[in-house]
Parts: sequence; structure tokens; C-alpha cells
Amino acid sequence: MEMRRVVERFPKLFPPIFKDCSYRLITNKLTWVLIAILMLPCALGLLVYYEFSDDRLSEEVDGDTIYYNDDGGLLHEDLRDTFLTFSEFFGMGFIALLLGIMFSSELISEEYNNKTMQLFRTSPIHPLEIITYRYLTGVITGVILLGLYSSLFYIVIMMGAGIHGIVEDLNVLLLVIKIILLSWIGFLSIFCAINVYFERPYLICFIYWLLWEQIISGQNYQQLTITHYINSITYDALLEMKWNITASDYGLVNSNGDTIATDPLISTIIIIFIAIFFVFAGSRGIAAKQF
Amino acid sequence: MNSIIFNEVTKNYGKVQGIANVTLNIESGVTGILGPNGAGKSTTMKVLLGLVKPSIGEVIVDGVNPFENLELRNKIGFVPEYDCFYEHMSAVDYVTYFLLIHDFDRDEANTRAKNSLVELGLQDAMHRKIRTYSRGMRQKTKVARATAFDPEILVLDEPFQGADPTTRHLLMQKIKSWSNEGKTILISSHILHDVENLTDNIVLINNGRVIASGDRHEIRKLMSNIPIQIRISPIDGKNLRPLFKRMLDEKWITAGRIMEDEGEIMLETNESNEFYTKFPQILDKEKIMVKKIVSDDDSLDSLYSKLVEGKQWK
Repeated sequence: MEMRRVVERFPKLFPPIFKDCSYRLITNKLTWVLIAILMLPCALGLLVYYEFSDDRLSEEVDGDTIYYNDDGGLLHEDLRDTFLTFSEFFGMGFIALLLGIMFSSELISEEYNNKTMQLFRTSPIHPLEIITYRYLTGVITGVILLGLYSSLFYIVIMMGAGIHGIVEDLNVLLLVIKIILLSWIGFLSIFCAINVYFERPYLICFIYWLLWEQIISGQNYQQLTITHYINSITYDALLEMKWNITASDYGLVNSNGDTIATDPLISTIIIIFIAIFFVFAGSRGIAAKQF
Repeated sequence: MNSIIFNEVTKNYGKVQGIANVTLNIESGVTGILGPNGAGKSTTMKVLLGLVKPSIGEVIVDGVNPFENLELRNKIGFVPEYDCFYEHMSAVDYVTYFLLIHDFDRDEANTRAKNSLVELGLQDAMHRKIRTYSRGMRQKTKVARATAFDPEILVLDEPFQGADPTTRHLLMQKIKSWSNEGKTILISSHILHDVENLTDNIVLINNGRVIASGDRHEIRKLMSNIPIQIRISPIDGKNLRPLFKRMLDEKWITAGRIMEDEGEIMLETNESNEFYTKFPQILDKEKIMVKKIVSDDDSLDSLYSKLVEGKQWK
């Protein structure tokens, strides 16, 4: 019944809500502070390119220029490692997480602070509509921002390996964008629910991520974290790409040393299920909230 | 006709009592909710709007519980006391945004939003961002948002706050016209004079309890234990003392005072009906003419002071 209402009114209500919320997210000063931080590795990449681009070894193969490192290995394989390593901290890691926390706060908490939430609660809009449209706006805006950033960063890093290198490892960029999408689907739903239930959402979101996702779940309870499923998808995709990695590189081993990576399809389904659960939980919280 | 029924409603916030045992039956027309800060006016309005759930008792609006019924919100327009805007939006976009929630299609929502803002005199500013608005313009925008979907019930929390005299006059006219259309309007204001101009129907709240409700003149009549004060000015100043002396002979006059500088006598009585019946006869008999008979006690301000602030005991 509730879902039906959300779906039926989606074409009418989502566009104006998306327009308003995405405007607020993009014009938020903190968004630009975090984007500036994200740009640091891009700047570093450009610096490295201009410093060392003349020292590269290359050869022409079928009209393509292929670049090599000092050891004679393919340069794009080194650079894709660099791209993924930096992305794991910036575009799909800690900085992206801070961006997600900030977005959820702007989308939910600020509505309480500005008292616009009170107006919604006196208007014929279901709490599930309130949170779903905001959550989707957050996911779409976040993924577009980080997707564009990752594409830019990918080009900056990989241009050292020329056009051949950029084209050759596009699947790594696609993997990063996929991980950003799934991370935001999962984490943003939890952050939105936290914003509904708690008055200091920044702190609670960060504590949740640090303590639960990173520390307490550890090896044996990691299936109760989103991080586990994200890592499982990344691990599986990299194995498919024939990267030389092990499960322990992504922490996907239990205390007995057994690999506990989850199938990527099941991981994706679980992340979506978690998202739906927390969006519903947030909607219940809004419905029960008294002003 | 809309019905709003409060049936022994109590709302507690933890150990703090918001309202206690409130029973009301509000009908169409304007009803003023009066009371000092913290009296429970806002809580009463919030319970009606479904923003808070009663701890005890029930509120029924048009036969349904406002906390649970989503469709009822298409019938209630709310003007909050506080600002609640998206400052980056223009007034047209803001009102349209909320009209879409009321299921109007985009074109109709836009047309209604513009009409509503024009009616409230915002035609020149409605495309400007709200962050550039004065307090009066903000107030009008809030009213436009609450009324653009033509609700049957209007809840106005301090609608005249921050409004300049022109805005206040305009809002008064609009409220009177909506009342004439048969809408049920609940209005809270600290400015008693404004409420007095709009309605005689009031609900007085203090310490979370309804201390009086109904027609203010009727309420005053029921307060027989509280004396009313009447000021009388004879045309001829020489009649001041004789009239004063004559009036003290009447047993229904409980106290009196001569104010020579003002040329007035002040009389106090518990029986206003007796006074208004017999006083003209006394004047006729004594051949005294008066230029003014005033009783401030019938004003809302006086009623409020007596009931809420307990001034009758001072």
C-alpha cells in the first residue's frame, strides 16, 4: 500500500524534490570542501604526469603507443593499481563516506532543523515518500559526483599510459563506479535512518562506521557489515580481471584463515535488501516522531 | 460543515504537561485560542494537526484521527508561527512544491500558487528568492502556502507576528472572507485586539487547561462573582459628586471612586444587568445627563486579564 503510493506519485513528486534536494547538496559548503580534498590526488596525478612523462619507455604496436615501466612491465597495470588504491580511500572510501554522512544530514536532519519536516507531517505525503525521494536524491547525486570525480581521476592517473592504457583498463573504472553505487545504496540508507532517530547524526554515523564496520565486526561477524559485501564484490571482480590478489587482501578470511567472500550476486541482493530495510525503518521513525 | 472535537485530551512531554483534560468542540467560523506563553496553545494546535499524539483522550477531525489519517491533511491548512522555508526557492516554486504534494498537476499547482500569492499582494516579489523577503512577505508566503489548496480548516499560529499594518489589515480581511466562505479557522495570537476584531468565539488556555471557551460576552456574563467596572462622565461637572452619592445608595453598587481630574466616576458592580436596566432610570429621575458610559470589562483584553492573569484578585 505504502510502496504503491510511492511508486504512483513518483513521476509527480520526485522531480521537484530531486531538484530542491540536489541543489541543497551541491551548494552546501561542506560538499565543496570534500570535493577539494578529493581533488588532491588528481592534482598529485597531474604533477607526477608532467614530471615523469618524458622518462617513459614506449613502443608502437598496431598504431597504438604502449608504455612500459622501468622493469619492462606494462605501465597501465601499475597505474590501475595506483588508481584503485587511491580510490579505496577517496572516491569509494573514507572521504566518500564523509560525503554520505553530510548528504544524509542535509537531506533529513536539516529538514527537522528548518522545521520543513513539520510542514510535510501536516501535508498529505507519506513518511515513506518523504524518505524514499530524499534517499534516492542522495544516492543519485552522490554517485554522479563521485562517478564524475572517479572518471576524472582515472583519466588523470591513466593518461601516463596513453590512450591504450586508458581504454585497456576501463573495466577498473566501471568497477569503481559500481562499488560507489552499491556503497551509497547501502550506507546512505543507514545514515538516513540514523538521521531520523538521532539528534547528533554526524557523530552516530561516524561511530557506526568506525566501530561496527571497521572494528567490532572483525573477522567472524563481518557478514553483518556492508563493507564485507562491498569487499566481496570487489574481490570477485578483480579475480575475474585476473589480478594477482588474495582474499586476505580484502579481509575476507575468518579467524581460521578460511575464505568467507560472499557471491557477488548475493552480496548485491543483500545490500539492496539492507537499503530497503533501513528506508522502511526511517519511514517508521518519521511517522512516529512527534513535534 | 467541519467538526473538530477534543475529547478529554492530555498531552505530556515526559514529566512536563503540555495540555490537560482539554475538551472542545470547534465549529465553522473563526475561533481564537488565547493564553500566555507556555499555556498550551501550540500543543493544542499540534494535536489537532496530528503533529503530536495525545497521551490520553482523542482528537477527532471530520470523524477521523488526524495523527493517522493522511487524506485529512488535504483539508487542513497550517500557518506555523516559525519560519519553515526553502530559502533558495522563490515563493511561487515554494507554494507550487507543496501543492504538488496535494496532488495537483504541475500546471494547476503553478496557477494556484500564483493566484494565491497575487491575492496576498506578492505579485511583484513572487519570483524572487525567499531569502530576500521581509518578515511581512514571509508571513504572506506562509499563508499562501496554507490556503492555496483551498482547505476547509485553517490553523493559524500567530499569523500577524511581524506583519506591518498593511499586511495585518490584508490578512484580517482574508481571514474574515475565508470565515464567510464557511471555513473553520483556528487562530492563536498574542495581539488580543486582532482576535477581538475577528471573532467573539474564544478558547482561553492557561497552564495547559481550558479555563473558558465560547462567546466572550457570554463568558463575561457567567463571571458573576467578578465585579465589572464602569466609568461614567456627566456632561456637567457639577453633577459628578451628586451622581456618585446617588449611585452609592444602590445595593448593587459594591464600590466607587470619583476621578475629578478626568471628570469621571468609577463604579463597580456584580450585577451588570441590574446596572444597565436601572441606571438610565436613575439618570432620568435625577435629571442628569452623561456624555460617556464605558465598561472596559467587556473587552477581550479585560476578560483575558481577569481569567488568565488573575487580575481580579489584585
